Amino acid sequence: MNRNVKRTVLICCGPGCLSNQGMDVYEEFKTKILISGLDVDLRSAVETENACVTDTLHPGIKTDLETMVSPAVKATGCQGLCEMGPLVRIEPDSIFYTKVKVSDVTEIIEKTLMENRVVERLLYKDPVQGRKVRAREEAEFYKSQLKVALRNVGEIDPESLDDYIERDGYRALKIVLSQKTSEDVLSEIEKSGLRGRGGAGFPTGRKWRQCARTGNYPKYVICNGDEGDPGAFMDRSIMEGDPHSVIEGMIIGAYAVGSHEGFMYIRDEYFLAIQNMTKALEQARREGFLGKNILGSGFDFDIQIVRGGGAFVCGESTALMASIEGKVGEPRAKYIRSVEKGLWGKPTVLNNVETWANVPVIINKGADWFCSIGTERSKGTKVFSLVGKVRNTGLIEVPMGVTLRRIIFDIGGGIAGGRKFKAVQTGGPSGGCIPESLLDLKVDFDTLDEAGSMMGSGGMIVMDDRTCMVDVARYYLNFLSEESCGKCVPCREGIRRMLEILNDICEGRGRQGDIELLAELGETVREASLCGLGKTAPNPVLTTIKYFKDEYLAHIEDKTCPAGVCKNLTTYYIDKTLCKSCGLCKKNCPSEAIEEKLEGYFINLLKCIKCGSCMNACRFGAVKILAGIMRKL
Amino acid sequence: MVITIDGIKCQAHKGEYILDIAKRNNIHIPTLCHSDALPGQGNCRLCIVEVIEKGRKKVVTSCIFPVTGEIEVVTNSEKIRGIRKTLIRLLSARAPKNEYIDKLRQEYNIPPETRFKTDDNENCILCGLCVRACEEMGIYAISTVNRGITKKVSTPFDEASDVCIGCGVCAYVCPTSAIKVLDEGGKRHLWNKTFELMKCVKCGEYITTREHFEYIRKKIAAEGTEIIEPLCDKCKKKTLGENMAQTYK
Ligand code: SF4
Ligand code: SF4
Ligand code: SF4
Ligand code: FES
Repeated sequence: MNRNVKRTVLICCGPGCLSNQGMDVYEEFKTKILISGLDVDLRSAVETENACVTDTLHPGIKTDLETMVSPAVKATGCQGLCEMGPLVRIEPDSIFYTKVKVSDVTEIIEKTLMENRVVERLLYKDPVQGRKVRAREEAEFYKSQLKVALRNVGEIDPESLDDYIERDGYRALKIVLSQKTSEDVLSEIEKSGLRGRGGAGFPTGRKWRQCARTGNYPKYVICNGDEGDPGAFMDRSIMEGDPHSVIEGMIIGAYAVGSHEGFMYIRDEYFLAIQNMTKALEQARREGFLGKNILGSGFDFDIQIVRGGGAFVCGESTALMASIEGKVGEPRAKYIRSVEKGLWGKPTVLNNVETWANVPVIINKGADWFCSIGTERSKGTKVFSLVGKVRNTGLIEVPMGVTLRRIIFDIGGGIAGGRKFKAVQTGGPSGGCIPESLLDLKVDFDTLDEAGSMMGSGGMIVMDDRTCMVDVARYYLNFLSEESCGKCVPCREGIRRMLEILNDICEGRGRQGDIELLAELGETVREASLCGLGKTAPNPVLTTIKYFKDEYLAHIEDKTCPAGVCKNLTTYYIDKTLCKSCGLCKKNCPSEAIEEKLEGYFINLLKCIKCGSCMNACRFGAVKILAGIMRKL
Repeated sequence: MVITIDGIKCQAHKGEYILDIAKRNNIHIPTLCHSDALPGQGNCRLCIVEVIEKGRKKVVTSCIFPVTGEIEVVTNSEKIRGIRKTLIRLLSARAPKNEYIDKLRQEYNIPPETRFKTDDNENCILCGLCVRACEEMGIYAISTVNRGITKKVSTPFDEASDVCIGCGVCAYVCPTSAIKVLDEGGKRHLWNKTFELMKCVKCGEYITTREHFEYIRKKIAAEGTEIIEPLCDKCKKKTLGENMAQTYK
């Protein structure tokens, strides 16, 4: 380990780690290293060790070296492995610590920074390899990933423009403004095959070209940072962790289409995103990247932040524009395209955060490079927030075309608690649920569509065998029933009635013909709704019917919930032939419903609250759910 | 340009809506939320049709779909009928006892609703026309509140609106007569508010609320036209006739 190189301690302060006191860990490092005496100790220790080197050097360099060896402490955006946060990395030594607590900080400083020793205890144990790894790059979670949109997230201090510039920041903008015409930019983006990362996957280059073509001014560019999906934090992580990438992408886009005014729509709850973005905009303006006569090129462009009210439907582009205009955030028909008549009736290009963040890289590395990643019709990478029942939840970015299996079992480390995989839901609340038989699907825009789901903005929720698929459909529909704007009949009334049927099914009032009726309603909602929310809302219902029909039948005909989730339809019992009388179930039952008798353990159905704790506790699979046929007896 | 609707060749201008072209050519497309005076709602979706463009079929909303090319339109394919039937079923589940909706239901041979929980007192289908009409008058007394399945039309906080003038335009445009204007004993009850009705100075018939009359008077005064007197329609015509007779004598 070469002490002469400046070391950096990178503490993850992304959404996941923040909720686990990541900020406190950062503060502790800062105080201990930079303010307290430790700093002096550290430097002197290094200095003594390097005395012979410094002596021979020019005196000026000596002082340089002094500052160089003092480690930098940086709070970064999301480093990805949220499950194991707070994460701390020490570079360039490639040491990766997980679940770091404030009380661990002194030990890290003393052992790793001062004595070059690794704190074994804090290393990450890779669930796939079954061993501890020292460098992040050795972990399966990071191995299969490829960071393009997230290239700086987790690597830089988002508040430092220098950090961004050090990693090629604003280089693309300089190239564009000094060497390229807007036509050059348009064709480069077209050639790259970049498709909108916000949902529908519309080719970005084509969209830009359509907008550039219209002779109507002014034109606007918008960044959609609304991200209303519950549990999703892709866009948030980029805005928080690397705001300048988004800004640079927008300036380049504005140059290409001929716009001078941009809007960044960020949901109000994203406090840190707004703060970092505001700061970044100020920095960019100060350095001449934004505003009048950018970098002396004669091109003017500025960006304004708009805080979104937080309705899910505002992620829909036309609703979002209505909201920026100060109207009720309701969508309108898209028969007239936004590139012709968007914001205030003017030509508008709207892309989401991730799409914009891809733009500078494409310019820097070229469309050919970008095209070499991904599949035939989906180029580049996609960011996902991987959550649910996987071991490694977090923020990931993979090349398009990677299989779901790879994402879930390699990157995700498999199903948590050693349970079985059941389904994965992609695309946010109105995405579909994909079963085990389709796990080898290559993830891109078109294959997910064909499977009845969608890419959406990149939510990915993994479900295990203790998940009831009817209940899942009901959960999402319930969310959508509150989030639909309620403007058009199919979406408002259709979702309401589908939800009514699903509630009935889950509570034991399902009827013959309900499945068919759900399918029929779903079809109408999909075909006749006005905006994207309605058009996709039936996905969770239609896909669960398609892939998990037997579960619906069990609920309706046998009045049984096979997963033991719908309480009205669940009766637990202990299978005598499997029970080893260990008593674990009794210990875990919160309502003292399990009784020990001479013949073994029994569940007193009068006391049972159907929590399923006993089933989870039993190591022999002796606690079972009474199946339909037995119930009828 | 020429487009085909159900096999009939129709003249059309670029940007014209399919529904308008169909109407002109006596092709019936059912509508609920459309009003010639307040076009562009596009909420009820009853007017959906299939458009075939470059060999590709898609379902569009005819009242807001502008034609830009020589398309073929089918207003009554099996698919469209299916979706329309489901939409009417949904509307009828919402407002089962509404006369207008019930007529539609029978027209489309849909059996009375038995699967869903229904509310016999509901008549509003949330087409939004009343809100638009009130906005158009410049009053803004009512609006849609809430979103999703709890959406409804109301005054702010469901209280008597301090700006409503009781003109009843909202009720007039409502396709399902969901808004009840109750006139009795010289009073009008509307949107939780009671208005005093004004009498015609000639015949003594009730004409409209005092607020509405004042509103019109102010508007007209602003335009610089002669100050009007409170007259009912009949007496207005009569006076006009008399005046004319006087002039041409
Ligand atoms: S589809 Fe749903 S969210 Fe979209 S406009 Fe219609 S009611 Fe509103
Ligand atoms: S399901 Fe819960 S309450 Fe019922 S017996 Fe098992 S542990 Fe006890
Ligand atoms: S009250 Fe009538 S006009 Fe107003 S939204 Fe309801 S149905 Fe439409
Ligand atoms: S008449 Fe076209 S949507 Fe209602």
